[in-house]
Amino acid sequence: MKELKEVIRLVVLEKRDIVLSIVFGFLAGMSAVGLFGASGYLISRAALIPPLYALTVLIAFLKLFGFARALGRYAERYFSHRATFTILSNLRLAFYKKLEPHAPRIFQKYRSGDLLSRIVGDVESLQNFFLRVYYPPVVLVIIFLGTVVFASIFSISIAIVLLLGLVVTGLLIPAWYTVKQRKLASRVREARGELSTEAAEWLYGFRDLKIYQQLEDKKEMLHQSSDDYIRESERDSRQMLSSHSWNTFATLLVSWIVTGLGAFLVAEGDLNGLFLAMLVMISLTVFENAAPMAVLPSHLDDSKRASKRLFSIVEEENRGTETYNLDGKLAPSMQVCDVSYRFPDEEREALTGVTLSIPAGSKTAIVGASGSGKSTLLQLFMKFQIPSMGELMVNGKNITEISEESIWENSNVVLQENHYFYGNIRENLQLAGEDLSDEEMKLVLEEVGLEFDLDQPVFEKGENLSGGERQRLSIARAFLKGKRLWLLDEPTSSVDALTERMIFNHLYERASQDTVVLISHRLSGLEKMDQIIVMAEGEVAEAGSYDELMQKQGHFYEMKQIEKNIFST
Amino acid sequence: MKHLSRLAFSDRRVFMLLVLTSVLIGATIIGQSYFFVAIVDRIFLGEGRFQDILPLLAGLLLVLAGRTLFTWLNGRTGIKLASKAKLYFRQSIIDKYARNPVQASLQGQSGRKVSVLMDSVDEIDGYFSSYIPQMIQTMIIPLMILVVVFTQHLYSGLIMIITAPFIPLFMAIIGVMTKKKSEEQMEKLNTFSGKFLDTLQGLTTLKLFGRSKQQKEEIESSSLGFRDATMEVLKVAFVSSLMLEFISMLSIGLIALEIAIRLVVYESVSFFTAFFILILAPEFYLTLKDFGSAFHTGRGATGASNLLAEELEKEEQHIQWGSGKLEGKQPPEIKLDQMSFHYEEGFAMEELTATIHSYNQVAIVGKSGAGKSTLLHLLAGLTKPSSGTIKVNDRSLFDYEEKEWFSQVSYISQHPYLFSGTIAENIAIGGRGNHSKEEIQEAAEKAGIAELIASLEKGYDTPVGEAGRGLSGGEKQRLALARTFLKKPSVILFDEPTTGLDLKTERVLQASMEKLAKTATIITVAHRLHTIKKADQILLLDRGYLIGKGTHEELLETVKEYRDMVTVQQGGNSA
Repeated sequence: MKELKEVIRLVVLEKRDIVLSIVFGFLAGMSAVGLFGASGYLISRAALIPPLYALTVLIAFLKLFGFARALGRYAERYFSHRATFTILSNLRLAFYKKLEPHAPRIFQKYRSGDLLSRIVGDVESLQNFFLRVYYPPVVLVIIFLGTVVFASIFSISIAIVLLLGLVVTGLLIPAWYTVKQRKLASRVREARGELSTEAAEWLYGFRDLKIYQQLEDKKEMLHQSSDDYIRESERDSRQMLSSHSWNTFATLLVSWIVTGLGAFLVAEGDLNGLFLAMLVMISLTVFENAAPMAVLPSHLDDSKRASKRLFSIVEEENRGTETYNLDGKLAPSMQVCDVSYRFPDEEREALTGVTLSIPAGSKTAIVGASGSGKSTLLQLFMKFQIPSMGELMVNGKNITEISEESIWENSNVVLQENHYFYGNIRENLQLAGEDLSDEEMKLVLEEVGLEFDLDQPVFEKGENLSGGERQRLSIARAFLKGKRLWLLDEPTSSVDALTERMIFNHLYERASQDTVVLISHRLSGLEKMDQIIVMAEGEVAEAGSYDELMQKQGHFYEMKQIEKNIFST
Repeated sequence: MKHLSRLAFSDRRVFMLLVLTSVLIGATIIGQSYFFVAIVDRIFLGEGRFQDILPLLAGLLLVLAGRTLFTWLNGRTGIKLASKAKLYFRQSIIDKYARNPVQASLQGQSGRKVSVLMDSVDEIDGYFSSYIPQMIQTMIIPLMILVVVFTQHLYSGLIMIITAPFIPLFMAIIGVMTKKKSEEQMEKLNTFSGKFLDTLQGLTTLKLFGRSKQQKEEIESSSLGFRDATMEVLKVAFVSSLMLEFISMLSIGLIALEIAIRLVVYESVSFFTAFFILILAPEFYLTLKDFGSAFHTGRGATGASNLLAEELEKEEQHIQWGSGKLEGKQPPEIKLDQMSFHYEEGFAMEELTATIHSYNQVAIVGKSGAGKSTLLHLLAGLTKPSSGTIKVNDRSLFDYEEKEWFSQVSYISQHPYLFSGTIAENIAIGGRGNHSKEEIQEAAEKAGIAELIASLEKGYDTPVGEAGRGLSGGEKQRLALARTFLKKPSVILFDEPTTGLDLKTERVLQASMEKLAKTATIITVAHRLHTIKKADQILLLDRGYLIGKGTHEELLETVKEYRDMVTVQQGGNSA
């Protein structure tokens, strides 16, 4: 249960709705028991032909129980679902609070793209915890206790039989199947995972498979995994069914014992025969409430897994003491000394023994093939990652001692993938500062060559903007922020050459005294840079000014020759 | 939906088993009620001894065991039916995808197809495992109960007959009402539920601008908005079951009242009959209500079922290959004769005619969207021309045996696909069956990737899963080259990468192509000037039309579009 500690803490926050759900669940369950018990009693009573008024009262009771049951069920559902969704909201919030401090680092660390949707899915699946795991047993136990107490008025032994029935159907059988379920569920998941991987591979690699004439073989394998998955999930369903069947049989058996025992007691004269029908009806009804226990094991298992996964994401290593803040007034300098970095789940190093120096106020371009480590280097500058080996100094201090917030606050960053929020252009620009005037915003839009109205809508993730427009909007945001460190990762890769040149002219104007680090996808237009760093396979292949590198006729020169050769279509 | 029910009833044995178990469940329900009542009657009114009811108790136990057993059997049949249906759909879909060669050119749809294969097929489970069995039960069990009640007491039977139709009626009315309301809420729900993911995705940006703290309130307010919108929808559903509960409750009350009055006032029914009916009535309504919930499950499968049917009914472009053998040692001569290709989305390629001689190096050139990749697919035999023919050694390409053709062809795409497996396996997939370790190493050597492989701890046995995670674009490109060196094809189709390659790969590519050109015809979608310049023939495409054919010099002379293209390219980069 320790995986669920945090979840339980969040669940019990919603005291009012929980209590109401339990109260109404109890009311509905008890009314059903009352309804059927009363009808059994009514019939027995009628058989003995009592005065009519006694019957009238009973029938009135019957109606009352009937309505109470229906309304109770309605209210129970209403409050339990409301609680569930409020809990979902609490979960999201709590998780966001936990995740937020570690944010960009964690996303970079787990480079898999589905991390976020997995988080959302896990949080969502935890909403079932309250609805299917937490409160049904509580309601069940209370109803049973009420019924047992009521039954004990008439016969202690029948009350005991009911209590034993609760233990078997509410505890023993679910517990037994919880254990069995765990093994089976993991096998179903495995089989599903395998099929889905193979299906994806088969479809994405379709063309290659076709040409290598492997399509038929792989198709057979796909059929095979499909069969496996179906077989495993059939086994899972059958197990659910048998859990359900045993549970039903146990409840029916309890009713049978109650009937036999009741009959015996009546025959022996220990129980008034008038109550026999009532007790039989009660025992048949009260177990209706045990039905949710059949699905509890699988939901418990799911919740545990989701919770474990969620909270393990944010368990973090100690990141040392951050004693300094980056001074925003000065253009910073950076020294990289023999730095290596490897992503946690990868075998090869992304950066190996990188040494370079970026003086305050200098303009540096980083170039290289895709996968050469350019973006990783930038991530180290932003303190999204800490070097595995070597030292990264900012203004002469080790970056581990500088607070990451102060680095972010004092840099203008444009990443390859930037986020845009649902709203309008103004709101997306105001991210750079609440009190920006319309004039300032219009000016930067002009500088990046966007003819946008500030009130123009922006859809989720900027879906209504083209790739180039989105990039330019990000640059505009960076312009507005106006700090002294610029970290730009291929900011204009989707912008045409002419506009690019115009944007860079404005950039150098604005950043004339600032430190600029630019990852460039093009080799042209780098003539004015103070230095160009050429990355290859995680190492610095060359560094120097444009003229120096061209004269040297080395790596950069060769790249330049190839670029000249390529048609950009 | 029709699709599904046809499938469900196709197997008569399963259908009969479902009917049989339903009848038996009905019988045990009635038997169970009978024995309970008989025991109480015998003891309570008959004042019998305990010994007298022992046979009845034994009978009751038997019936209870029977009820459990038959319910289990019924459920199991449903589960089996579901498995069979899922198996059928998944296999049909896989076979369908395998047959359709256009698939190869529509890589973008793969994600959707995986989801059809996984999720849509899983979603129809409930239809077979719960809706169908429950529907059959609902057709049989209430009827059986009704017959028994009629034999016992006419008026109770009449009350049941009159009240029962209200349950489906109300379900239908409420269904119609909810539909509109839930559609209204759906849009709201989508916006609210997307907010959390949106914020998480934007967290890096938010942090860089120091705005992440403020988002907490936004998440909270949208989550609560989501809650309220959902509750609106759910409330209607709850009211619907409340109404059903009321109807059945009222009906049972009515029956109880009627029986009690007859029992007391008129003394026209016995205690046995009265109790019997009273125990049967709730079972009658319960089966009807159960059908209500099963109906929802069945409805839930509609969307998935439609999607599957749509996918299966899609027109396919099956390619029929012949049995011809490719003769001759040298690469085949390929002719395009008035070849046209149309695709549903409006893209068209019109009347292409060209000849590609053995050992020719051909460059396909044109703007994006001109149809370069489509032409490559057509040449590979992955897609079939709509009209006209592709001739290989003067016979139609599709006269040859499929295996015969593909064993001569290699296709190197811009983003080669790596399968999960070891590096050695990934190279060997290009070959023709069994290759010795030495052959694989030799191919890797030629493709300039042997050094890299040697530097890895596990060498050739290093696993490269999930589309080659951990390898850079250039390394994947070289691995694809190794496949080609191993295969030694006579026709190579090459989609030249645009940018982003490392120098080493650039050099390797250029050298390898020169080497391969000695033994094969090479057709390249070209992006590099040197590739274009040295081509024996350039095919210049523009929006599906072949507007120029010839060498670099010839095209420079004669085709204005080509001249413009080359000028722009050189101007664009030298600036």
